[in-house]
Amino acid sequence: MKKIAVLFLAATLGMSLLTGCAISGSTSKSPDSSKSPESTNSAEEKNGKNIVIGMCNANLAEPWNVQMDADVASAASKYSNVEVQYKDAAGDSLTQRSQVEEFINAQVDVLIISPVESTPMTDIVTQAYNAGIPVFLVGRLIDNSSYTEYVGTDDFSLGYAAGQWIVDNYGGTAPNVVELEGLMTSTCGYDRHLGFMKAIEGTDVNVIYSSDCKWLEDIGRSEMESVLSVHNDIDVVFGGNDPTAHGAYIAAEAAGCADKIAFFGIDGLLAEGQAYVKDGVFAMTICDATGGDIAVNNAMKFLAGEKVDKVVLKDAIIYEKDTIANGGTVVSIPDDVDRSGQETPIINADGSVQ
Amino acid sequence: MRGIKQNESFEGGLARFISSDGGRALSSFLMVIIIGCIFNADGAFFKLATQRDALRSLSVYGILAVGQTLVIISGGIDLVQGSMIGFSAVLFSILTIHMQFNSLLSIVIVILAGAVIGAFTGFLIAKCKMQPFIVTLALENAVRGLARAITNNQKVSTNIISSDGTVKSVELPAIFKLIDRKILGGNMTVVTVIFVAIIIITWLILSKHKWGREIYAMGGNLEAARLSGVPIIRSKALVYIFSAALSAIAGICTAAQTTQGDPAAGNMYETMAICMSVIGGTSMVGGRGGMGLTFLGVLTIGYLQKVLSMNAVPEAYRLIITGLIIVVAVLAQGFKFKKKRANTSIK
Repeated sequence: MKKIAVLFLAATLGMSLLTGCAISGSTSKSPDSSKSPESTNSAEEKNGKNIVIGMCNANLAEPWNVQMDADVASAASKYSNVEVQYKDAAGDSLTQRSQVEEFINAQVDVLIISPVESTPMTDIVTQAYNAGIPVFLVGRLIDNSSYTEYVGTDDFSLGYAAGQWIVDNYGGTAPNVVELEGLMTSTCGYDRHLGFMKAIEGTDVNVIYSSDCKWLEDIGRSEMESVLSVHNDIDVVFGGNDPTAHGAYIAAEAAGCADKIAFFGIDGLLAEGQAYVKDGVFAMTICDATGGDIAVNNAMKFLAGEKVDKVVLKDAIIYEKDTIANGGTVVSIPDDVDRSGQETPIINADGSVQ
Repeated sequence: MRGIKQNESFEGGLARFISSDGGRALSSFLMVIIIGCIFNADGAFFKLATQRDALRSLSVYGILAVGQTLVIISGGIDLVQGSMIGFSAVLFSILTIHMQFNSLLSIVIVILAGAVIGAFTGFLIAKCKMQPFIVTLALENAVRGLARAITNNQKVSTNIISSDGTVKSVELPAIFKLIDRKILGGNMTVVTVIFVAIIIITWLILSKHKWGREIYAMGGNLEAARLSGVPIIRSKALVYIFSAALSAIAGICTAAQTTQGDPAAGNMYETMAICMSVIGGTSMVGGRGGMGLTFLGVLTIGYLQKVLSMNAVPEAYRLIITGLIIVVAVLAQGFKFKKKRANTSIK
């Protein structure tokens, strides 16, 4: 609570400044009340230079979200007429709500948003969509279909890819696996775990230890120390994210058994998972691309009058030492996998949401 | 140690010892050890390596708890500690990894930077007479913000992203491995040695030095302390400087143990430090507590975490068990207070 209170104060102060800028900025634009998500060619209407993209990020304390802003920036820099305005909700739905309001008032041309939470953001995102702003959701859905495109992370398939990789590489040898879960009260932590369990169901893979490491490297390390004090026959360590698996690696290295164990995690960020793979610390990492670049590119297509898919689900990409230079291996998981219990809405093959 | 000392003047047997501060803290710890012996995970609990690892992972919390105990005895509270870990971990990593500064110099700079923040906290609390809770709450956010600002929200590791988007790997400075090293035939980590050294030095200060007595006096009765000539502003500010400097050391240890500086590191660590301090027998209203007690409190919570994790207890039950054990330990101190009062009335 205490943090939220002070952040709110800071956010309000910051916002009052930003709103001032945004309003003065919007007056220079030609008022365009007839604009609807289906109307296009705003590029020409904005007399030459600017298409303004409002980018609402959920929480820049997360490296993954930082990467999302970076992906948006790098995709946007390829278009000479695009300006991106960035906002960070710092993990707070109410903050994000007012940030979206500001973008609506400023009549941005495109809203890219990584919602902090689904339900609290549904109403305001719907307002933006109804105000004629094309809305691109990244990473999390809202509760209705008032959006132009959803660029989604499929955490279930990331976990499934992890399980599948173990089965492919160690199946038949009855491997002992330690699962260091991500925060299990979060949907992505839970779905990764579920996908993993579904993939190894009925195989000879033994999960000998699992615990909730809350995405944290230091917990990954101390949990792994406990595992090593009890078990000495570990084959694979699977981390819910890369830092957790890396913490486990540090523990195993200190115990002198790191080279007997294969470590891997999910996220595949440039300076974390990918670097660990290159250094030989990890056997592989499963990349969960942020999709920020996909959102920008598809937004530009949409503004140019092209049709875009309602739902884009990113594939899991496995980076191993010999494939990383070539962009890794795309993992596709079977459509008929039983996803019952998945916390995020299940997307049907035709793109509709269950 | 103060509690035990008080007790030594009594001609008491075992029963008296158990009802003393030290006895209470010790029995909480023994309770955890007994749980560990029963649920020993196929004998893993009795291995030396398990003790080493348990002591390693509690050391950072322990260093914080030492600072926190001092602050609480003086009648305040320090909520900046967790953020200080993040700030000093990234500052240390930037200096050593990115700028390749001399290790010793970097450590001094980081501790000084911590002390400066502590001095500011102390100035606001002691000189401007602001509430410690509010001041440290506010600065907790400010310092966390500082940690994020100087790193642009990115972890500072040996994999450095350059401006053209490629990753350059540099060598991990030797100091990281030095702090994270095992010594004494692999049975102890340097971090634990740092923690024990800090607790002994602080114990000496608290029990032998004039400043130590001033801290107790301020926490017991501020007005009485002022009237008896305690330099309140200086002594109180020093408490926060000391705690912040210790937090900076804990931050350096955290960086060494994770081989990087994470601006989000240490989040909510201060609550753990407060718990350890209180479970040892430090009174939240000030004036009572000591290093020996805090040491037992640190061991109690640290070993409890180890036992739970060794037995692969699911997270939900870990939270329940940790919560209940803290309640039981603190409740025991409440009983002691009542009993003491009853005794005085009989006398």
